[in-house]
Amino acid sequence: MIPFNFDYYKPNTLTDAINLYTELDSMGKSPIYYGGGTEFISMARVHNVHTKAVIDIKGIPECNIHVLKNTKLTIGSAITLTNIAIKNHFPLLSRTVKRIADHTIQDKITLGGNLAGTIIYKESLLPLMVANANIVLEGINGSRTVPIMDVFCKEMNISKEELIVQVIIDERYLNLPSLHVKRTKNEKIDYPLITLVALVDQGKINIAFSGLSDFPFRTKLLEDILNDESFSKDERIKKFINNIPYKILDDLAGSSEYRKFMLNVMLNETLENLQEAL
Amino acid sequence: MGHIPQIGISIPKKESWNKVTGRAKYNGDHITSDTLHARILTSTHAHAIIKSIDFTKAEKSKGVQGIITGDYLPVLTGSIIEDRPPIAKDKVRYFGEPIAVVIANTEGEASYAIKLIDVEYEPLLVINFLQDAMKEDSILIHEKLSQYHHPSVEANPQFNTNIAGSTKIRKGDVHKAFNDSYIILEHNYSLPQSDHSAMETRNTIAEILPSGEVVINTSSQAPFAIKEELSKVFGLSKSKLIVRTPLVGGAFGGKATVQLEFIAYIASLAVGGRKVRIANTREQDMFSSPAKIGVDAKIKIGATEDGIIRALEATYLVDCGAYSDTGPRMAKAIASSCTGPYNIENVYCDAFALYTNHIYVTSYRGFGHVAATFPVERSIDKLAIALNMDPLELRLKNAIREGNTTPTQSKVTLSNTGNVEECINKLKTLINWEEGQVVQNIDDTIRAKGMACFWKTSNSAPDAISGVILKLNSDGGVDVNFGAVEIGPGMKTAICQIVAEKMKMDINKVHPFMEVDTQISPKHWKTVASMTTFMAGNAAIKACESIIKQLKSIGSIVLRCTPEDLDVANQKVFLRDDPSVFIHFKDLAHGYKYADGPSIGGEIIGHGNYIMKHLVPLNPETGQGKTGPSITVGAQAVEIEYDPVKYDYRLLKAATIIDAGKIINPGAAKGLLMGGMSMGLGLATREEFVYNAQGQLENSSLRTYKLIHFGEQPEYLVEFVETEQIDAPFGARGLAEHGIIGIPAALANAISIASQADFDTLPISPETIWKAKTGGKYDSL
Repeated sequence: MIPFNFDYYKPNTLTDAINLYTELDSMGKSPIYYGGGTEFISMARVHNVHTKAVIDIKGIPECNIHVLKNTKLTIGSAITLTNIAIKNHFPLLSRTVKRIADHTIQDKITLGGNLAGTIIYKESLLPLMVANANIVLEGINGSRTVPIMDVFCKEMNISKEELIVQVIIDERYLNLPSLHVKRTKNEKIDYPLITLVALVDQGKINIAFSGLSDFPFRTKLLEDILNDESFSKDERIKKFINNIPYKILDDLAGSSEYRKFMLNVMLNETLENLQEAL
Repeated sequence: MGHIPQIGISIPKKESWNKVTGRAKYNGDHITSDTLHARILTSTHAHAIIKSIDFTKAEKSKGVQGIITGDYLPVLTGSIIEDRPPIAKDKVRYFGEPIAVVIANTEGEASYAIKLIDVEYEPLLVINFLQDAMKEDSILIHEKLSQYHHPSVEANPQFNTNIAGSTKIRKGDVHKAFNDSYIILEHNYSLPQSDHSAMETRNTIAEILPSGEVVINTSSQAPFAIKEELSKVFGLSKSKLIVRTPLVGGAFGGKATVQLEFIAYIASLAVGGRKVRIANTREQDMFSSPAKIGVDAKIKIGATEDGIIRALEATYLVDCGAYSDTGPRMAKAIASSCTGPYNIENVYCDAFALYTNHIYVTSYRGFGHVAATFPVERSIDKLAIALNMDPLELRLKNAIREGNTTPTQSKVTLSNTGNVEECINKLKTLINWEEGQVVQNIDDTIRAKGMACFWKTSNSAPDAISGVILKLNSDGGVDVNFGAVEIGPGMKTAICQIVAEKMKMDINKVHPFMEVDTQISPKHWKTVASMTTFMAGNAAIKACESIIKQLKSIGSIVLRCTPEDLDVANQKVFLRDDPSVFIHFKDLAHGYKYADGPSIGGEIIGHGNYIMKHLVPLNPETGQGKTGPSITVGAQAVEIEYDPVKYDYRLLKAATIIDAGKIINPGAAKGLLMGGMSMGLGLATREEFVYNAQGQLENSSLRTYKLIHFGEQPEYLVEFVETEQIDAPFGARGLAEHGIIGIPAALANAISIASQADFDTLPISPETIWKAKTGGKYDSL
C-alpha cells in the first residue's frame, strides 16, 4: 500500500515524456520516470521515496526496441530482465540479469530501471561496461548517444529530466569469451557480496564489479594490473586488490576484509577460467 | 464389523483444498466497509524519554478520525509481570515500540498521517548486551520493577536490577562430581534474537458494540488468553468479550501473546467503539511485535575417562528485550531441560531472564529448547573429540533411561519420556553414520555429518484445560468443535482422526468447526507447546465416550436389549453377537422416530474435557518439580558439503528420528518435522537480529533479514519410533515444535568437524567460518 496519492502519466513519445517531466517538475511535483515499478512501489510503501507524479515510459516505442540489426544490439530501457534472458542476444548479459532478484521480479524489472534505480548494485550495468556499450539518452535538447562508461562513473551523470532510452552493444562483443560470478552472503537470491563480470577482448580481460564498492565500476588501472603478464598470477591478484581505488564496502552482507578475501578467490577463478581465451 | 484404521494413515488436512485454491480466509481477509484503519507510529530510539508528541498536523490530515498516545488509557500488561504499556508512556524501551496510533478512514490516510507526528526524545543510555544488563551498576530499564504487579507464581523479579526472573536447578553435588571427573570442559555459547516470520503478519480488528459487547477478530494462537487478558486489563465482563479466530497463516509462538489486541481495543474506544483494524506491515511485524529470545550461555561439563557425564554446571542469560512477556517462563524451560536427554546426576543451573533495550520477546517454536540444546550438544561433541570417542556412541552411553531423573528430579519412565537410545540407533542407519563423520570428496570438498539429540516437554500452565464438543448430524456425520486454533499443522484434522478412530467410523464423515469463537467453542488454554493433540485428543476421546453412551442408550430401546449388548462402528449401533441387527446413526442423531409416529431421544451432543495433571511449580531453591505431562525425545543429524578453499558450505541432508508415541497422520507429521528442520537450518545459517551501537535494529526488512528459501532446502529424512505414552490419546506424543530443536547444534557440529574449528555462536555464515579459520584479516601475502 502506497501511503500517498500521485498522478500517473503514460506518454507515447519521447518528446511528450520530456515535456511532461519539465512541466511537472516546474509545478513542484518531483516527477519520476517509471519502468517496472519494483523499486518505486517497495520504497514508497515504507516512505522512502515520495513523488506527486510518475511518468510511465512503457508506452514509448523507442524504449521497447529489442533487436540485433546492422551489427548493433539495441535494447530499450523498458525491456524486462526476463525478456533479455529469453532473447539471449548477449549471453553474458542474460547470465547476469538471471541472477538479479528472483524470477517473478525479473518479469517486472526493466533494464532502464535497473540502471537508473537507487539500489546501488545495478548488476546489469556490468556486462554493458565490459562490452563498451553506448547509452542513448533523451533530454530537453534532443537525443545523445554516449559511452556508458562516461555516464556511470561513481554516480549517474545525467541531468534529472534525461531519460534512458536504449543501450547499444556492438555485435562483436556479444559472443566473446566471458564470465559472470556472483557471490552473496549466504543465499542463492540476494544482493551481491560481489558480482564480477569479465570478458576477453583481443587478448585482454575487461572486468567490472558490483558490491565491491557502493557503486559498480570498471577501471583501466585495475585491468592493466590484471593483464600485465610480466607478473605471476598471484602477484597480479595481490596488486589488483591492493590498488582498488574506491572504498570497499563494509556492511551487513560482509566486512570489507571478507570482500577482499572473496575477491581474491573470484579473481583466481577468473584467470583460470579465461586462461584459454587469453 | 471390520474396522479400517483412521489413525496412522496419511490424509490431507481438512482445509487443504480451500488453502491450495486460495479460497481459505484468514483474519486479514475480512475487511468490511465500516472498518476504520489504524497505523502505529513506532519509536526511533531504543531507550529514551518521550519529551513531547505533537500531532496537531496529523490530526488535520485527511481521513483521520482519532490519534492516541500512551496517555489516552494508561494500563500495564503482561502475563507474568505487568510491565508493558500497550502504547509507550513517558519512556520508550526499544526501537520499534509503539508510541502513537492514528485511526483513519483508510490505511493509506492513517499511514500518511503518522509521518506528520513530531516526537521529541531525550535519549538514554542503551543496554545492548546481556552482560551489561547483569552488571551491578547497570542502568535500569524498569526503575519501577518493584511496583509492578506480577500475577504468575513463576515471576520472581529482582528489584533494582534488570532481572525479570530466574530459575535455579540444584541436583546432586556438582563440586564433588567435578572433583571426581577425568575431564572438564567449559565454553561459552551464544544465540541471537530473531524473527518468527509467519507468512500472515499479525493483525486484529476490535469493535465495541452499543450493547457493551466487545468483539475481537484476530490472528492469534490464544483467543481464550486474549479474553482473559483484556477482561483483566480493561475490567470488561468476560460474558461480553468475544474473540474470534479463523485459520491463522503461521504463528510459531509469535501469536501466543496479546499485543495488537490491546491497542485495537483502545483505538476502538477512542473512536466511539467503531470497528478498528490494525495490521502489521512485514517490517513492523519484525521490529515492533515480539520476537524470539537471544541467549548467552556458559556450560561446564565433567566426565569420566570412559565418557560418562558426571556433572553439568550452566548459566543462561536470556535476552527478554524491553518487556518480560513469557521470557521468564522460557528461562525456566531452558533450566529445566538443561541437560538434554542425558542422565546427568549432578546439575547446577541458573537461568536469568534479563531486560535489555532490544525488542521484547515471546514464545517461539521450541520454547527456549533450541537455546538449551545448542550448548549441551556442542559440549558433547567437544567431549567426544577430547576423549577420542565417537560422538554418537558417547550420546548412546549417556542417553536418559527409565529410572533416571530429569534436572527437576522428576522420574523418567518409557511412557512419559520415550526411548532415546532407539532414536539414536535408528538415526545411525538413516544417516549412514558408519561411513564416517567426515568423507573427503575427489574435488577437495568435504562431506561431513553432525548430530544432536533433543527433548522437550510442554512447560504448560498446571491448570491448562481443553474441551471438545461433538454433535451428530442427521446423516450420521459428526461435527467437531474445540478451541485450538488451526495455525497450520493440521490439528483440526488430527482431532477428527482421533474421533473417527474412537467412533470406528470413516474420517470423511467427521467435520471440524475450523474457526475458534470463544462464545461457541469450548475453552482451549492456548494453541502452543505441541499440546493440542494430547489435550484436545484426550478431551475428544471422552466426548466420543459420551456420544457412544448416548447412542447405546437410545439404541438399546430401539433394538430391545441392554446398552451393554451393543457396540458402535461404521456409523451404526449393532448387537455385538449379531452385527446384522443394527440401527444407523442417522436414525438416532436427532431422535428416533417410530414407524407409527412417536419419537424418543433428541439431538445427540457429546462433550469431553481435559485438565493437566500432577504439574508442580519448581522449588525456588532446588528446581524440583514437574513442568509437563510428558517429554518427547529424538535424534537429528545434518550433512553438509564443506569447501575448505572458499570456507563455505552446502546443506545436503537433514534428518530426524522422533519418538512420537503413536503417529496419528504420518504425512502431516513428516511435514511438520521437515518444517521444523527448515526453521532450524534458518537459525543455524542466517537468521539473526543485528543491532547497532544505539540499539536500533538494522535488518528489519526481508531485504536484509534472510530466511532459508525454497531452493536452498536440503533433502529431508524423517522416521519415527513409537513408544506409547500411556495417558495420551492412542499413545500420541506432542511433536509439532520438535523438528527445530537439535538442528542448529547438529549443523554447528558438522561445520566444526569439517572445518576443524569451533562454532559456538549462531548463525554460522561462510564469513563466520572464514573469520574463525583466518582471524578475519585478508592477507594478500
